[in-house]
Amino acid sequence: MSVVYEGPGELGMKFVAQMDRLTLEKIGEEGLANAARNQAVMHRGKSIAELRGGPVGEGDSAIVIAAGPSIPRRNPIEAIKASGYKGALVATDSAMYYMLRNGVIPDLVVTVDPQEGLVRWFGQPDLDHEEIAKDDYWRRQDMDFAFADELKTNREIMSLLETYGPQIKIALATCASKSLVDRVLDIGMQIYWWNPMFDDPDLPGSKTAALFEANGMPCINAGGNVGSSCYMIAHAVLEKKHVALTGIDFSYYPETPYFNTQYYRDLIDIIGEENLDSAYIRVFNPDLQKEFYTDPAYYWFRETFLELAADADCVTYNCTEGGILFGDHIRTQPLSQFLTDMKASGAR
Amino acid sequence: MSDLLKGNFKTKNEVVAPEVAEETLEDRFERTALKRLGGSIAFVSKKKVMWEFKPKS
Repeated sequence: MSVVYEGPGELGMKFVAQMDRLTLEKIGEEGLANAARNQAVMHRGKSIAELRGGPVGEGDSAIVIAAGPSIPRRNPIEAIKASGYKGALVATDSAMYYMLRNGVIPDLVVTVDPQEGLVRWFGQPDLDHEEIAKDDYWRRQDMDFAFADELKTNREIMSLLETYGPQIKIALATCASKSLVDRVLDIGMQIYWWNPMFDDPDLPGSKTAALFEANGMPCINAGGNVGSSCYMIAHAVLEKKHVALTGIDFSYYPETPYFNTQYYRDLIDIIGEENLDSAYIRVFNPDLQKEFYTDPAYYWFRETFLELAADADCVTYNCTEGGILFGDHIRTQPLSQFLTDMKASGAR
Repeated sequence: MSDLLKGNFKTKNEVVAPEVAEETLEDRFERTALKRLGGSIAFVSKKKVMWEFKPKS
């Protein structure tokens, strides 16, 4: 793309409008190929239907723990541990290490992204200096600062999962990459397979319907990202009626340099450094009285999440204490209040 | 098409068939590059979970 002259955030909003299509072009082919290949190992796990109505956590509440930049700032696991919360803890793959190194085994881990490379959340046995030199993504990212020290963190994850991995239930998307699936099998995690929807299963020629017919696993609307997938599984599969969110920022703190954002390298390649202000979108969160900024994909995640929340059969509490997820069907409140309320209502 | 439909009257103005734009290398780059900005997985509006397969009749 050549030189673009747009106001702040304007180009970003144009990308948001195309995000359904861009996402499908990015992951569709690879995800479906992965699902076809993974069929050979599906007998090594169960269907996520076995978790329906849920033997996961006590009571009718759940807390989603994702890996947004609020996590190192708010450290929600400390309050969760102190409260003695017994409800379900549903973690993204990216937040699993945060929980384990804080002495908490998640009740369920969710993974959905079909792309190669995300095995790193599970420890990559063959990771070496050469591999690290190829890509600075893990050192740059603003989610879990521990990943800045890549080899040390990788060793720690592998060690933690060697000990605790077999105790962990994982909602493993059928579209997951070969390296990730192989690693999960090697660890001996308890696998529950599910198909993420790729398109509307009720439309003629649907890829989702074809996938269901091929492997028989339930199809879940994954909402564009793994944090939203956790939320969907918490209320639509585990049937929890009170679902709190932590680490679901969908944005960056104002002081975070563009360099540390998820899509920085991609945006530089596509629109050039001189146009970055037009791609990043500034959002004022009225519930928190604070401004954050976000990139087009994260803004799309916010929009898709709001649609999911509007249709959900649960009360949704955003206890992230940061970020841009607010709206009609979202109750913004501190995590401590959620924990106290659940304890008081006996719904914990 | 022009071999089949000859027309049976003369138009007032000359009709020029629009040229179908071929995808240039730049277009292809732009399309390939833009998809890198996409999310991690698809989102499907107004859907939750499909537990059972219902084949279309």
